Amino acid sequence: MSSKKASAATKHRKAAAKKPARPASPPARPRSVRPPPKPAESNPYAVEWQKVEAVQSVFRKSAQLAEDLLHETERLRDNLRKLERENAAMRTQLASDEAMRDLLKKIKQLETEKSTLLSHMHEAEAASTRYSSRYSEMEEELAKLANVYIASYQLHSTLRLPQVVAHLKELLQQLVGARSYGIYWSDATRKSLVLFASENLDARKHGKLTLGGDDPVDPVVERAFLTGVPAIAEGKLDVFGEAQPAAVVPMHFDERVVGVIVVYSVFEQKSHFVSVDFELFKMLGAHAASALAGALLYAAPGAKLPGPEAFRNLGLPARDAT
Amino acid sequence: MSAEYTCLVVEDSPMMRQLLVFALSRVKNLKVTEADDGVDGLRKLAGAKFDLILTDINMPIMDGLKLVKRVRSDPMHKDTPIIIITTEGSTEDRQRALQLGANAYITKPIQAPQVIAKVKELLKIVG
Repeated sequence: MSSKKASAATKHRKAAAKKPARPASPPARPRSVRPPPKPAESNPYAVEWQKVEAVQSVFRKSAQLAEDLLHETERLRDNLRKLERENAAMRTQLASDEAMRDLLKKIKQLETEKSTLLSHMHEAEAASTRYSSRYSEMEEELAKLANVYIASYQLHSTLRLPQVVAHLKELLQQLVGARSYGIYWSDATRKSLVLFASENLDARKHGKLTLGGDDPVDPVVERAFLTGVPAIAEGKLDVFGEAQPAAVVPMHFDERVVGVIVVYSVFEQKSHFVSVDFELFKMLGAHAASALAGALLYAAPGAKLPGPEAFRNLGLPARDAT
Repeated sequence: MSAEYTCLVVEDSPMMRQLLVFALSRVKNLKVTEADDGVDGLRKLAGAKFDLILTDINMPIMDGLKLVKRVRSDPMHKDTPIIIITTEGSTEDRQRALQLGANAYITKPIQAPQVIAKVKELLKIVG
């Protein structure tokens, strides 16, 4: 709008320069008190006066125009300054917006990274839990194997009968937690089981268990001996005692049952048989009889550890025997 | 790697002792010394300082409770942590052992992870 005015003023100036000044109509009032001009016919100076008046009018208008132009220029300068300020503010705003955009972009990027990291962390946590669980399982398995290994190692560490029996008892007490138990050996007729080692058990009552009768003393023991299948309680153990054993383990030797281990009750702190107990019972079923048989043979009068000739006498090749 | 901790296991049963030594072998930097009974335990204690003692109660010659009393009256070992490992699971037995100065009480049959956890706790081993 101000540029239009400026353009109009320029045009006006040019027009004023080209065209002769038109007489003012009506003429401006004279400043000085002079007698009104007489018509040209009557006053010879009237024409000259009119010319002077016209020139004066042109000068006044020019002065007015110059003044207007000065005002307009000042106003345009003000506008220019204002626009420059606005421009600077907008530039700042633009820069600020760009910074904001960069920040938002950065935030988004960081959020993506955070999400990825969280995902990795959760994966790592899950893996850690899996490893931890697996580690516990392995430790448990290792402990179980150690129990069985140590029990077997001790059981076969000697051929002396009292020590073999002591190891068997120790194993039952310390590793299984048996409080009252009996270890029975079958007689030659396989009609009865004879108690040869026990703990916290009435030997008079349990000294000999007759088998195959119409009214067996203990059907669970009889069944385990005759079938070779162990009978081990899987529930709570505080209900078992001399009337009802908690575990009966048949002792196998050369694919036949030669005796049984009967656990009547356990220590009060033991509530259930756990997996390691089942492994120990399995080991006892397979190894106890051979350890006892070897110790019994070694305990016979005149028994001694044979020399290498014994292997040859059995028909084994010399290179294998030595 | 040299051992950071030392432990004395006093147990008359070779089977149980072997099992305890195995369990303790799972604890890093722990050196284990074995003793057959209370007297043997005292003998070992006279010659060295231990960070931890594990003892059975029912043993020939000198039982575990007497050993605990002796250890607690010895200025060299009066603060050494003691774990009782026994088949005696009654509350009275437990209280008696703790009153004599034992720090923990574990009943047999032992679970290796339980023993390891208690040993680590008393030796302040993390992880």
